Amino acid sequence: MNKEIIRSEKLREEYVKIQHPSGLTMLLCPMEGFSTSYAMFTTKYGSVDSCFKTNLEPDYFEIPAGTAHYLEHKMFEQEDGDAFGRFAQIGASPNAFTTFDKTAYLFACSDGFKESLEILLDFVSTPYFTPETVAKEQGIIGQEIGMYDDSAESRVFFNLLSALYVNHPVRLDIAGSVESIAEITDKTLYRVYNTFYHLSNMVLTIACNFSVEDVLEVADKVLKKGVDIEIIRKTPEEPKHIAKAYVEQNMPVATPLFCIGFKGSDAGNRKNFENMILDEMIIDLVCGEMTPLYRSLYEDGLINNGLNGEVMASRDYICTIIEGESRDPKEVQRRLLSEIEKLQGSGFDNELFERCKKATYGRYIGLYSKPETVASVLVSTYFAEMTLYELLDLVAGVSKEQLEARLRENLQADCCALSVVSAQPMEV
Amino acid sequence: MVFEYYIFDIEGDETMAVPFHRVKIAEGVSFTAVQDSKFKHNRLSVSMILPLEEGKLAERAIVPYILRQGTRKYPDVTKINERLSDLYGASLEASVEKFGAYQLLNIGMVGIDSRFAFEGEDMVRELASQLADILLDPYLENGAFSVKETELEKEYLKDTIEAEINDKRSYAIMRCKSAMCDGEKLALSKLGTIEEVEAITPQSAYKAYLELLDTAQIEFILCGSGDPETACEEFRSRFSGVERHPVAVDLEICRKLPTVKEKDITETMAGVTQGKLVLAFRSETTDDPAEQAAARMAIVMLGGTGTSLLHVNVREKLSLCYYCMARMDSVTGIMLIDSGVEAENCDKTKAACLEQLQKLQNNDFEDKLLSETKLFMKTAFSATSDSLGALETWYLTKILCDSMETPMDTLAYCQAVTREEVVAAAQKLKLDTVYRLIPEKEAE
Repeated sequence: MNKEIIRSEKLREEYVKIQHPSGLTMLLCPMEGFSTSYAMFTTKYGSVDSCFKTNLEPDYFEIPAGTAHYLEHKMFEQEDGDAFGRFAQIGASPNAFTTFDKTAYLFACSDGFKESLEILLDFVSTPYFTPETVAKEQGIIGQEIGMYDDSAESRVFFNLLSALYVNHPVRLDIAGSVESIAEITDKTLYRVYNTFYHLSNMVLTIACNFSVEDVLEVADKVLKKGVDIEIIRKTPEEPKHIAKAYVEQNMPVATPLFCIGFKGSDAGNRKNFENMILDEMIIDLVCGEMTPLYRSLYEDGLINNGLNGEVMASRDYICTIIEGESRDPKEVQRRLLSEIEKLQGSGFDNELFERCKKATYGRYIGLYSKPETVASVLVSTYFAEMTLYELLDLVAGVSKEQLEARLRENLQADCCALSVVSAQPMEV
Repeated sequence: MVFEYYIFDIEGDETMAVPFHRVKIAEGVSFTAVQDSKFKHNRLSVSMILPLEEGKLAERAIVPYILRQGTRKYPDVTKINERLSDLYGASLEASVEKFGAYQLLNIGMVGIDSRFAFEGEDMVRELASQLADILLDPYLENGAFSVKETELEKEYLKDTIEAEINDKRSYAIMRCKSAMCDGEKLALSKLGTIEEVEAITPQSAYKAYLELLDTAQIEFILCGSGDPETACEEFRSRFSGVERHPVAVDLEICRKLPTVKEKDITETMAGVTQGKLVLAFRSETTDDPAEQAAARMAIVMLGGTGTSLLHVNVREKLSLCYYCMARMDSVTGIMLIDSGVEAENCDKTKAACLEQLQKLQNNDFEDKLLSETKLFMKTAFSATSDSLGALETWYLTKILCDSMETPMDTLAYCQAVTREEVVAAAQKLKLDTVYRLIPEKEAE
């Protein structure tokens, strides 16, 4: 068994990376003083993995939108009951989530860590799908989709992605649609499970109060090595240009909600993640609360609840998103584009850059503070082929020139789309 | 006078000990600290509490939002945000909440601890003095708040009131509660009305601010790893010599239980696909921690976990919905069950929910539901001591209820709850208002 200690001098903390004989990678981070432990068992499989095969199969398999999320729901059901019931006997609190690029199963507990871990590893390793149990979930997930359909925040976000991307499956809702999930069968779920829930495609992360020996003991007992496979994903060719520059949906909201997005160029898995950190700082330098642009938008009453920026990056996509509420989203976009153009020429103000760097450093310290965040960031950094602490080193090492170069190549006006949700039609 | 409490987990596990202390620093002003070296941050907040008062809600609600935008030293949004960046990206948030029949105005800051600062700056001192400036040394023009700031924050407040419609789930709950409490103080909006907001002037908001400083109960809370003495001294010195006339918080006025009057309300909304169902119940409130724990356990057993009666039966067995949850406000005794369902399934869901409640009331449930919920509570309460935000909320709530109960004390009460006590607590719940939000096309 391969065991490696990964240490941060800055934080004076460390975690252990273990390559278990079953093929599973484990990242175990003890955190002193906390009462609740978090364990997260994650597969590198999300809603964007919609066409795939293994090296042992001749043909690609295409699955309906929403399959990853559907499978996540069904994993909890077991032949002799459901996993919720098993966790309840110990008092652990289980949960799960599906994103564009991963599906995670987790629990929090204060007592009974070892038993809870055994349940987690066992239920995720034991699929049980029948035509009846799969059909039963249609009603529940149908209502979940209905809830997202009525959520303005959710609509404005997913509509933006459908405007930015022409072919990439990131343009589709993670939960799929009522129509697409109707096509999912037990056979679909087994095929997906046997491909993506292979231990070599998964990672176990644990943060807080636990002993490494206990983890290994449970893993040795529950996890069995499968036949080696290679997963081959097929993602349609994505052009550089966006699908459409403007998308609008009308539903009951007060002030219109908007999302302005910039499609970035794919630079590969790890590089996308590094660029994400740079792009987050760039958002702060372009329209963060210290900037002249923010001040003008605020003082002119164009944003009423601040601006939120986020960068979404994964294996083969990256985009920058700025969202808020405004009576005139187009004017916000116009001013944003004009500020970006100006800064692409002039570069960033020195003092502002130093402040932004200090603030970003402070915010990143936050990622190392809570067990649930640590368990989750361990996963994202691992999938991005870096260590937990490299993140902080990256932030500490960023130069103004680096950000300026990135700004010039990334935030391009012709790769920008605007998504609006408003009560009344805004475009005639 | 400093009260010092050292609290240990019921099993004597010292890892869960969270010492806190509370001290009065001026008339109606107190400072509470929860210190734990495991945290990398400090969370510092000030809350001002006054009874909900019709006509004054908006002009009070706008105050924390105006204060957040600048101080005499950092007079505008850019300058104050530069200052926050210099504090390693400290956050600064204003919020307004309702606590029973009280309005609670909050300004909070979170920043990293000194041990992560590049030059070993005293981060607690910096945060405390910044928060004190925000509260006590605002940017003024001609003896009132700035005209521009006031206008901008008025727009923001109006937008926030109007935006209640954006999230259909919370909108349905809000509509249900206001219908249920019609004519009571509890029905008042925490932000006031649009008309009240429009009437605000820089002078009236400033007057409301001075009144808050004079009469509100003021609570400073520090949660984190930093030294509480530093913060306490900062606030004490800023309030020294200030004469105040605080209105004491008396929760009795929001505990009088009006008679239950069953209402059935259906509203329609165009442009939505899913219906929302909210069932509102009334119950007695009590100061007895054992009875409070029984009520808490009953609600969690009904609809607070993945193995609760509502989740297992209404969601899993009947596949009627994605969420179906029960929650209770211990101050008002109002209990809500809410769910997102197909409009045509509203009645079926209502019947299914009531059937599950009846099981509790009729003592018709398995022993393991009670024993497993007790185990779940241990995890839930332990998580409170791991989160700065949860700790702050916990202690603020307890302070307002005039209780010194720690999460572990409450857990101990929950662990002692018997089956009979759960049944008795469930029997106190009386259905009051049924609220449905239905897509317009379904209604036609």
